[in-house]
Amino acid sequence: MDKFFEDWRRPILGSLAIICFFLAWEAILTWGIPLNKFIISKPSLIFAGLFQDMNSGLLWRDLLISGRPLVFGYVAAVLVGIPLGVVMGWRVRVGYSLDPLLTAFYASPLVAVAPLVIIYFGVGVAGKATLIFILCVFPFIFNSFAGVRSVDLLLINAVRSFGGREWDLYRIVIVPTILPFVVAGARFAIGRGLIAVLVGEFFAASEGVGYRIAFYSDMYVLDRMFGYILVIMVIAVAFTEGIRWAERTAFPWRVGM
Amino acid sequence: MTAGYIQAKNVNLTFTPPNRAPVTALQEFDVAVAEREFVSIVGPSGCGKSTFLNVLLGLVKPDSGEMSIHGKRVAGPGRDRAMVFQEFGLLPWRTVEDNIGLGPELQGIPKKQRRERGRHFIDMVGLSGFEHHFPHELSGGMKQRVGIARALVSDPDVLLMDEPFAALDAQTRDIMQAELLRIWQEAKKTVLFVTHQIEEAVYLSDRVIIMTKRPGRTKSILKIPLARPRGYEMRVTPEFNELKLRIWNELKDEIDSQGGPVRD
Repeated sequence: MDKFFEDWRRPILGSLAIICFFLAWEAILTWGIPLNKFIISKPSLIFAGLFQDMNSGLLWRDLLISGRPLVFGYVAAVLVGIPLGVVMGWRVRVGYSLDPLLTAFYASPLVAVAPLVIIYFGVGVAGKATLIFILCVFPFIFNSFAGVRSVDLLLINAVRSFGGREWDLYRIVIVPTILPFVVAGARFAIGRGLIAVLVGEFFAASEGVGYRIAFYSDMYVLDRMFGYILVIMVIAVAFTEGIRWAERTAFPWRVGM
Repeated sequence: MTAGYIQAKNVNLTFTPPNRAPVTALQEFDVAVAEREFVSIVGPSGCGKSTFLNVLLGLVKPDSGEMSIHGKRVAGPGRDRAMVFQEFGLLPWRTVEDNIGLGPELQGIPKKQRRERGRHFIDMVGLSGFEHHFPHELSGGMKQRVGIARALVSDPDVLLMDEPFAALDAQTRDIMQAELLRIWQEAKKTVLFVTHQIEEAVYLSDRVIIMTKRPGRTKSILKIPLARPRGYEMRVTPEFNELKLRIWNELKDEIDSQGGPVRD
């Protein structure tokens, strides 16, 4: 029993805290403060509402609507961000030129341009995907950039001394060096991508998770609104933990670093 | 100077670091090493001895000079040479086995054959049972054993060693020196060994080349007539200490006038 607790204490304690949080929330609004449905809801109502949205198929449709631009924008961010970051790291002049400009963009709250993006690219998939791309691309750029900068020249020399050519340097040294950096960026980009989806749909949409949250909020159906927020939280955690798990399995040598 | 197995003549190299004055690393530097000879190069820090190894390895192009190995001109990295690096230079994301397979892999040898060839050298350096370990799981001495096996696996004619034991603690260094002698006798290689440790140079070498301070030139060459195989006891004999003293006396002027660090 002790051994069992020792091995699993992280997930056990973590889950326990979540359960206590919901129980306390439920208890306070049941026996403590009288429930005012216009400003707050409680877990029992939230889960009941969530099941209704699942059964009616509304939740799944909204997830699909929001998921598509997320995939498009995120994949585009990977495809543009990584090569750009690598070139910035490998070619000193490109790095010096672009670093300040891109840092300024990265540091500013880009969601502010959401209305413009929607005007330019429309309320459909294109507009949302563009906004997601704009927010997600920077972690990929800067993490690949930092990754290339941290390539160990000794390893480059070692591979060259055994007859390695340019392509071998990429394959054997550079890509394995930047991979952990890129994965860390990917984890960060997920969070920014989810923000972009919601913000895009808050502004202009007739479907999707963000639209639904805004809609339920406007209608004061707070239990349903909280249900959707809960779903977003679960998705965010699933993605982040999934990437973290992939990181551990794919880079066993990092365990000791 | 007679033509050697490794022959370097009149090697000149000047670096021009950005925003710094040019540095002459090597000036009219000559080296001749016979086949299967163990030759050490000692010299004050920064005299260009490591640079010379990189030149001979083919990673750095000299400004002028002729270099050949077994009559073949050196122009870039080649299979006839392999380097053991001071800081090991192992790929952190590769297991011992795959690090050792680097050279054969770059020669296009299939994975199965690489593994088979690697196994022999893993045994030779005493790392059996550690094939699937990653470098971060190994001690410094074991890492350098991997470095030596990686250099030997491509069957080079010449082993270049750039202060290979400088990053190890004193006891591990003693053990690795003895191991290197055993491996050298088993693998029958020509070795060019750079060090700043006089004792190490005397213990291992057939001859010791003493370099001047920068710009590096050959100051003198000393034969080490001690019998082989050499054991640890040899290090406390009068002959051994006599040789150490002679090298020290040669080096002293080079180091004193520079105020550089001295280590033995």
